[in-house]
Amino acid sequence: MPAASAVFRIVGQNLSDPAFLAAMGGSLRRMAVGYAIVVVIGIGAGLLLGRYRLLDEAFGVLAVALHAMPAAAWVPLAIALFGLGETTILFTIVLGATGIVMVGTSAGIRSVPPLTLWAGRTMGAHGVKQFWHVIVPAATPRIVDGLRLAWAFGWRALMAGELLVASVRGMGQLIHAVAKSRQIPDLIALMVIIAAIGIAVDGLVFARLERTVRVRWETA
Amino acid sequence: MPIVLEGVSKRFAPNGWSAAGLPLPVRQAGGRQGQAASDLEAVQEVSLTIEDGEFVCLLGPSGCGKSTLVHLIAGLETPTAGRVLVDDQPVTGPGTDRVVVFQEAALFPWLTVLGNVEFGLRMAGLPAPERQARALEFIRLVHLGRFALAYPHQLSGGMKQRVAIARALVMHPKILLMDEPFSALDAQTRALLQRELLELWQRLKITVFFVTHNVREATVMADRVFEISARPGQIKHRYAITLPRPRSEHDPRLIAIQQRVLGSLEEEIAKVVKESMDAEYPMAPRGPVVPADRNLGSHI
Repeated sequence: MPAASAVFRIVGQNLSDPAFLAAMGGSLRRMAVGYAIVVVIGIGAGLLLGRYRLLDEAFGVLAVALHAMPAAAWVPLAIALFGLGETTILFTIVLGATGIVMVGTSAGIRSVPPLTLWAGRTMGAHGVKQFWHVIVPAATPRIVDGLRLAWAFGWRALMAGELLVASVRGMGQLIHAVAKSRQIPDLIALMVIIAAIGIAVDGLVFARLERTVRVRWETA
Repeated sequence: MPIVLEGVSKRFAPNGWSAAGLPLPVRQAGGRQGQAASDLEAVQEVSLTIEDGEFVCLLGPSGCGKSTLVHLIAGLETPTAGRVLVDDQPVTGPGTDRVVVFQEAALFPWLTVLGNVEFGLRMAGLPAPERQARALEFIRLVHLGRFALAYPHQLSGGMKQRVAIARALVMHPKILLMDEPFSALDAQTRALLQRELLELWQRLKITVFFVTHNVREATVMADRVFEISARPGQIKHRYAITLPRPRSEHDPRLIAIQQRVLGSLEEEIAKVVKESMDAEYPMAPRGPVVPADRNLGSHI
């Protein structure tokens, strides 16, 4: 194994190398676009599944199946459909991370405490108003849980996609290149950066968001 | 706006109860059909009339269908037999003329105190400036002016119930339904909120239907006390209390009334205890279940 000092020296070099930063920027941009699609589709479909039992009975299993499927397993299909390009990677992120958002959202919608619903109803919240002003906000903690997991799932899916679609410039492509040349310290340095980005976003964005929501919802 | 109950009964399917006394969704309740014989009768043939502006307490041991009566008047549940009339109209669903304050404040944690109090007005489609002005007025009325922008998790139990009361009163209901609203609070806070509630009731001239298992609470506040028996809940006694308010805890006349009510309530509590003992220990020897020095605990 390479010495930690060697690895961190390479991490430092990478972070000041414009070519590396361009690759990292490409990965992050792809992730941002993919995650945005995940949020929209995942929450949208989750709300529908949570609201309409019939839809849930028809498609709920698909959401769970989607959520159980490893993202890497989607890559070959994505390549067959979209070729070796950006779309394939976005497709992988979306399929890898949408399921967990759907499952979390629909479970949240369906597990709103009856007392919360009753409190709303006695104050005139029913039908569509009840859904948007009582049920959806009450389901927020579960939705946030789903979004947090989806970030991690999406980040993994991005890497799986980029590794297999090595023609797109990104950190996955760099791993691919470095692995071929068997430069283990360089490889580990890349992995450290990838893990660090995953942890940083989780800690700075999602852990905080979740803590805020937990404190507010669970101690109220 | 008199409330009239005519021979009202309510049955639930077995196991159809949650810990909070709320009926569970059918799926969770097991959903077995056709078990009428073993259904639980929560309340049985309850008839009563509550006049406009009255303060009525419904008193009884835990698990005797008190909450069910509140839910029936609120329109959150429908009776299996009998009729619930408010102002001569049968109750068909919840309405903002009959707002409920639950045992747990059941505030919306994602909204500030102001957001919670203006919620009903927002549902009614009132424009923001108007509803906020009205909400603030009621927030001040329950002495929470400084906390208008606080979130529920930042409030104590007593403050949360104050918000729940403001949230109900802001709708200008004719009837305020209260389901053991103070039973989770400490004694000092409870006494304070009882006084404040009486002031609000006198000031706003609303009808209050207040459920409690606490004899002192009922007798200090109510014009009339309906005592409900152990399940199936039936009205067992009706007491009219004409003592002027504010009533002193030490008033011998009040204490005499409390003694009478307690004596009657003891029997019902003994029944409940016996029932639950029988259910939990079917092999237990029969005989006097409640020891001589009965502990009435929170009922006093």
